[in-house]
Amino acid sequence: MKNGFVFFTGLFVALAASWGGIVLGSHRQLGSLAPFYSDGDSASFPARPAGLAARGQLVYADLGCAACHTQQVRRPDFGTDKARGWGDRQSVARDYIFQVRPQLGASRIGPDLANLAGRKPSPMDDEDLFKLLYAGTATHPAYKFLFDERAIVGQPTDTRLRLTGSLAPAAGREIVPTERAQTLVAYLLSLNTTFEFPEARPLPKPPAPAPGAHGAHGAKKKEEAKK
Amino acid sequence: MSSVSSQPEVTAHDAAARGPILLLLGSALKWLVLAGVLSLVTSIQLIKPDFLADCSVLTHGRAVALAETAFVYGWLANAGLGVALWVLARLGGEALRAGNWTMVGTAFWNLGVTVGCIGIATGDATSFSLLQLPRYVQPLLAVAYAAIGVGGVLAWTGRRTAGTYASQWYAVAALFLFPWLFTAAQVVLFWSPVRGTMQAVAAGWFAQGAWTLWLAPLALSGAYYVVPKVTGRTLPSYDFAGLGFWTLIFTGAWTGGRHLIGGPVPAWIPTLGIVACSLLLFHTLIVGLNLRGAFFQSGAVLKFTAFGLAAYLAGGVLDALFSFRSLAEITQFTHFTTAQQQLAFTGGLSMMLFGSIYFAVPRLTGRAWASGGMISLHKLAATGGVLVLVGSLAMAGWIQGHALAEAKTSFAEISARTRPWLLAATAAQALLLFGNLLLAVNFLRSVCACCCGESAPTASPFRAPGVMEAPAS
Repeated sequence: MKNGFVFFTGLFVALAASWGGIVLGSHRQLGSLAPFYSDGDSASFPARPAGLAARGQLVYADLGCAACHTQQVRRPDFGTDKARGWGDRQSVARDYIFQVRPQLGASRIGPDLANLAGRKPSPMDDEDLFKLLYAGTATHPAYKFLFDERAIVGQPTDTRLRLTGSLAPAAGREIVPTERAQTLVAYLLSLNTTFEFPEARPLPKPPAPAPGAHGAHGAKKKEEAKK
Repeated sequence: MSSVSSQPEVTAHDAAARGPILLLLGSALKWLVLAGVLSLVTSIQLIKPDFLADCSVLTHGRAVALAETAFVYGWLANAGLGVALWVLARLGGEALRAGNWTMVGTAFWNLGVTVGCIGIATGDATSFSLLQLPRYVQPLLAVAYAAIGVGGVLAWTGRRTAGTYASQWYAVAALFLFPWLFTAAQVVLFWSPVRGTMQAVAAGWFAQGAWTLWLAPLALSGAYYVVPKVTGRTLPSYDFAGLGFWTLIFTGAWTGGRHLIGGPVPAWIPTLGIVACSLLLFHTLIVGLNLRGAFFQSGAVLKFTAFGLAAYLAGGVLDALFSFRSLAEITQFTHFTTAQQQLAFTGGLSMMLFGSIYFAVPRLTGRAWASGGMISLHKLAATGGVLVLVGSLAMAGWIQGHALAEAKTSFAEISARTRPWLLAATAAQALLLFGNLLLAVNFLRSVCACCCGESAPTASPFRAPGVMEAPAS
């Protein structure tokens, strides 16, 4: 390493190679991924998020929700994501193409949220989510700063929380979600990955090669021909 | 061997380096303590979710981002740069040049990190791991980094020695690679962001690159310098050091996909990450072979360095092992990955940097550490803290991973099962914070004694080498 020039070039080439390989390589493969037009639904998927939901994603990011929640469902045979009801199919790159800042997350202290609004049998609605954010549970913090408590002037506000028991505000007062809470919930309710993209379908299991047949490949072709 | 280390050479070059390097190290320790407080908060929040939940600047997500930023950009960056510049100046055989540039750069770097932390607390975090700093402080940080690095580059290009040492390779590599990584990541994440999950790929490339090509080389440059100095021996198997270095440089950033296993990205990205993690074992092995001398000697400097080295080696092996899909299926998304990160950062890098700091500061100030007892206490707190922290987080993660794999187990149940281990981890964070406070106080006292010119013993500047390096063996 006496030769400074060679040393310097080595450093540069090493970094440039990894950048080109990983960042540019994946960009070349998926950078121009387009939405999928479904003839059956006469619509393309994924849908562009509404303005409110897009702003809600910024609230999700700035509060750091991704520290406890992932947004990536793993394929059914890798972990128990499907069994937990987080999604019937794995998340694919196409799900995220319209998201400004995808929040894949790296920690599951809470459940995965990639398909929060598409859960079966019935997903949470806005009232459930507001209540969860306001009151919290044993494992979820209560984010009261996302709500305003104020005196009712005239008619109670439509968006007020319907709280009962010890959570209920004093008479003549109401608890109303702030704009941030409303955009956040709009975002959470837009998280729906139920549409089956072709690339998300699990590969059909190759049937055991019958003796004399041309192996699994031939069997697959036959199966396709049947379709 | 004690004769070698009980007469620590204080060169004239150290006088020029005193101001800039002590400023870098002092800033680093301030951030270390702050990061410790924030880590304690995040750890308590895992046991008691309502802790500070109503304080919007410290929601769990923001506290995690703050703790990570203070630790990496505050502590590791400042301390690593301080050690690397000092090593470069010493090995170059010249007094540190452009010290004023370094001081101004340090001031602006710390200003940038402070503004960035305020930004994160008020909601401007980028949500990319290891790159949480808001985009508006990033250009400032890049410029400040360049100013800090000027001294290092001059020390490298103007070196008086014929050959170069592994220490210098690692230091110079870190100096150059970080700005490239940082700006390349900014281009594809903020200025002209790539779409969808490609952002996660680019962010993974940056995070793994920052760890393997910037932070680890900074700490290794100190370790490669300190170990032969204190043991008084040339490094064994030194011929392989070059191979170990280039293995790290060429494969480091390719590990970028290792956290995306099973994720919505092309499968070749995590696969490459797994392969790169295994290739890095060659680097780990060579570093272990080169620096094995650290394990067989006593003394505070080498005890810290040896512990850091052991954690670095163990971390490399664990990373390679748990990047395999069958194990990642369980440990992915759990506290186990946090344990791996803590092993690498708090165990590996911090401890190696502590060793280098304990070696460098007496030479910079020209007198022994103010308190030997505090060093021993710090050593106890740090080693105990890291062992308990990593062990308990790994157990919590293992339990959490298995519980997540049972589809019927609720999150309340998982949190109840992991609770005892998370309590232990919180205690460990408190212990680490205590130890780091001791170091900060000891550092302040030593520097104050130096500045105030208190009873400068000219004949023997080192009151008790036993305290400083304890060559008791």
